[in-house]
Amino acid sequence: MESFDVLGSGVIIMGLPFFLSGTVGLLRFPDIYTRLHALTKADNVGLGMIILGLILQAGSWAVVAKLFFIWILVLIASSASCHLVARRALQKRIQPWSRK
Amino acid sequence: MTESSSNLLYRRLAISSPRVVVRVLVLSILWVVLSGNDVKSWIVGAPAVLLAVCWSFILAPASYWPLSFGGACRFIPFFLGKSFHSGIDVMRRTFSPVMPVNPGLVDYATFLPDGPPRILFANTISLLPGTLSVDLQGNVVIIHTIDKNQPIWTNIHNLEWHVAALFGVHPGGQK
Repeated sequence: MESFDVLGSGVIIMGLPFFLSGTVGLLRFPDIYTRLHALTKADNVGLGMIILGLILQAGSWAVVAKLFFIWILVLIASSASCHLVARRALQKRIQPWSRK
Repeated sequence: MTESSSNLLYRRLAISSPRVVVRVLVLSILWVVLSGNDVKSWIVGAPAVLLAVCWSFILAPASYWPLSFGGACRFIPFFLGKSFHSGIDVMRRTFSPVMPVNPGLVDYATFLPDGPPRILFANTISLLPGTLSVDLQGNVVIIHTIDKNQPIWTNIHNLEWHVAALFGVHPGGQK
C-alpha cells in the first residue's frame, strides 16, 4: 500500500504543471478560441492525472468508481461547454485572432 | 414545461419503455456511486434521476446505437493517448517565450451519421492536439486549429475512423 501512495503522489504532482499551463494559456493566448484550447486540453490532462493519482491511493473500490465517474462527467461537461462557448463566439462573429 | 413538450415527452416515454428502465437504472447507479450509498440522499437523488430521465427523452429521443466491443478497445487507448498528447502540446505552446500559435478556422465534412456518432466525433475533436470543434452544421464540422502549419487531417481522419469503428458504421452507408 505504501508504494502505491508514493506512486499516487508522484502522478498527482505530475498533473499540476498541466493545470498551471491551462491558466498560463488563459492569460497569454490572444483570443477566446485559443484560450479554450489551453483550458480544455491542459485541464483535462491535469484532472486525469490527479484522478489517477487519487485512484492509486484510494482505499476501496467504491472510491475508485466514484473518482472514475467524476472524471468521465467532467470530461463530457468540459468538452460540451467548450464547444458551446466557441459556437456562441462564432455566432456573435468574433473573428479568430490570426498572425499578420 | 409547455403543453406540446409534455405531449412529446409522454409519446417518447410510451414508445420506449425498456429504454426508460435502462436510463433510470444507469442514472440511479451513477447517483449511488457519487453520493456514497446514503439512503437519505435519495430525497434529492430520486427527483434528480426522474427529472434527468424525462429531460434526456426530450433532448435525445431514444435511438439505439450498439457499441462495438472491439471498436471500444481501440477507441479508448487512442482517445487517452491523443488527449495526453494534446495536453503536452498546449503546455509547450503556453510556456514557450515566442508562443508558437498560428490559428485559423477550417471545415471538415464527415461521413458519420447524425446522432451519437457525429456528436462524439465533434466532442472528441476538442481533445485532439491543436483542434477545437466550433460548430456542427449538418455533416460539416467547423474546426478551430491552433496551428495552421500543423498537419491536423491525419488526426481527424484517424478519429473519424475510430468513432466509426466504435459505432460499427461504414463510410458511405448508414450502418
